[in-house]
Amino acid sequence: MSEMKLTLKETFFRGIWKENPVAYQVLGICSALAVTVQMKTAIVMGIALTVVTGMSNLIISMLRKKIPSTIRIIVELTVIASLVIVIDQVLQAFLYDISKQLSVFVGLIITNCIVLGRAEAFALANDPLPSLLDGLGNGLGYGLILVAVAFVRELLGAGKIVGFSVIPQSWMDAGYSHMGLMVLAPGAFFIIGLLVWLKNSLPGASREEKTAQ
Amino acid sequence: MSEPAKSEQAKRRHAVKFAAIISVVCCLLITGASTGLKPFQQENRALDRQKNILRAAGIVALDAKPSRDQIQSLFREKIHEAVVDNRGNFMKPGEVQGLSLYLYREKNILKAYVIPIESRGLWGKIKGYIALEPDGRTVSGFTVYSHSETPGLGGEIEKAWFQKNFVGKKIYNSAHEFVSVSIARGSVDSLPRDTRINHVDGISGATLTGKYLTRGLKENLKQYEAVSVRLRNNKGIIRE
Repeated sequence: MSEMKLTLKETFFRGIWKENPVAYQVLGICSALAVTVQMKTAIVMGIALTVVTGMSNLIISMLRKKIPSTIRIIVELTVIASLVIVIDQVLQAFLYDISKQLSVFVGLIITNCIVLGRAEAFALANDPLPSLLDGLGNGLGYGLILVAVAFVRELLGAGKIVGFSVIPQSWMDAGYSHMGLMVLAPGAFFIIGLLVWLKNSLPGASREEKTAQ
Repeated sequence: MSEPAKSEQAKRRHAVKFAAIISVVCCLLITGASTGLKPFQQENRALDRQKNILRAAGIVALDAKPSRDQIQSLFREKIHEAVVDNRGNFMKPGEVQGLSLYLYREKNILKAYVIPIESRGLWGKIKGYIALEPDGRTVSGFTVYSHSETPGLGGEIEKAWFQKNFVGKKIYNSAHEFVSVSIARGSVDSLPRDTRINHVDGISGATLTGKYLTRGLKENLKQYEAVSVRLRNNKGIIRE
């Protein structure tokens, strides 16, 4: 890789903020639309993805000298898919209601480009510890955006925060009504778009800004 | 790559060997997780079905979230599993292949009977329960516990707002014929006044889900018509 050696701390925090997978790399948008109607599902999805990216990066980094380059993508996918299936089984066993709400989206972590992207771009070229941190950082970065989007959508769309109603009845009586758009996928597009804009307009938040000067 | 003079053949052999090892390890991992966790998952599914039976019968509210112990004790106390033949005669469970249903009793008085529903949906099977009052014509509740409809569109069938509309609807029309309960296209208010009691509000963007579920409800309720007729004639008393 052409990048300079980063400290472990930088490796971890880079994925969360500067090179956030959703807001900077624009990966994982599909699931970010799907699971952000409520904060509860967004939080669980964020945790599930963080575990998967962390573990897959760790395992792939440990195997990186052994993996034959001809079949490396298949090997990466096999590792990721197995991890996702195991997590899905665990959710079904211990968090059944949430697993029902997440329905197909947990299985779709396999096709989430963030996981394979980090395995290809980072884990194949770095030691296990930085790879683990990179995976966890990117997973958390994804989760952070998910929770932020879900917060806005749940608040405006259903008047709730993590399932608790926060809109007083007096507002409803006075003619307040929930914003139906927020419950639908286009609502998530607007919020994600605004978040990307907000993040990239903050000073020092993106790499483009530095190179532009 | 680390050994410089590796022949093409050795590389290929290494790839095959590596693939085989990875496959076996991953297989073992998945099999272990799936068999090890199966008892927990089955218990969750059974509990979820019991919860939906209680909801359909109106014992717990559609949007309530009862605890595991509450579900188990309410189910044990109030729900009685029964089997009927196609003429509506009650039989001992397990004795003969028959139609299964759940009776909701309060102090030995029948309050509702719950019929399992298995309908075709747009993408897969829709499974749920519909409960009828002892008069054999009024719906007391409807729930869905398993489906593969599109979240946000057809998937709304599992939401309380949709299911609430079934309460109080009739499976009989004003001419005393069996018509089942149907999902309208759009709002019920656009229908002729006398058929509104046999329809519930549709889901916008899910016309096909509504169509299939309407058909499925009719087929399932038709099978249990013998029981319903018997109850209507006996004024809500079942002789077992």
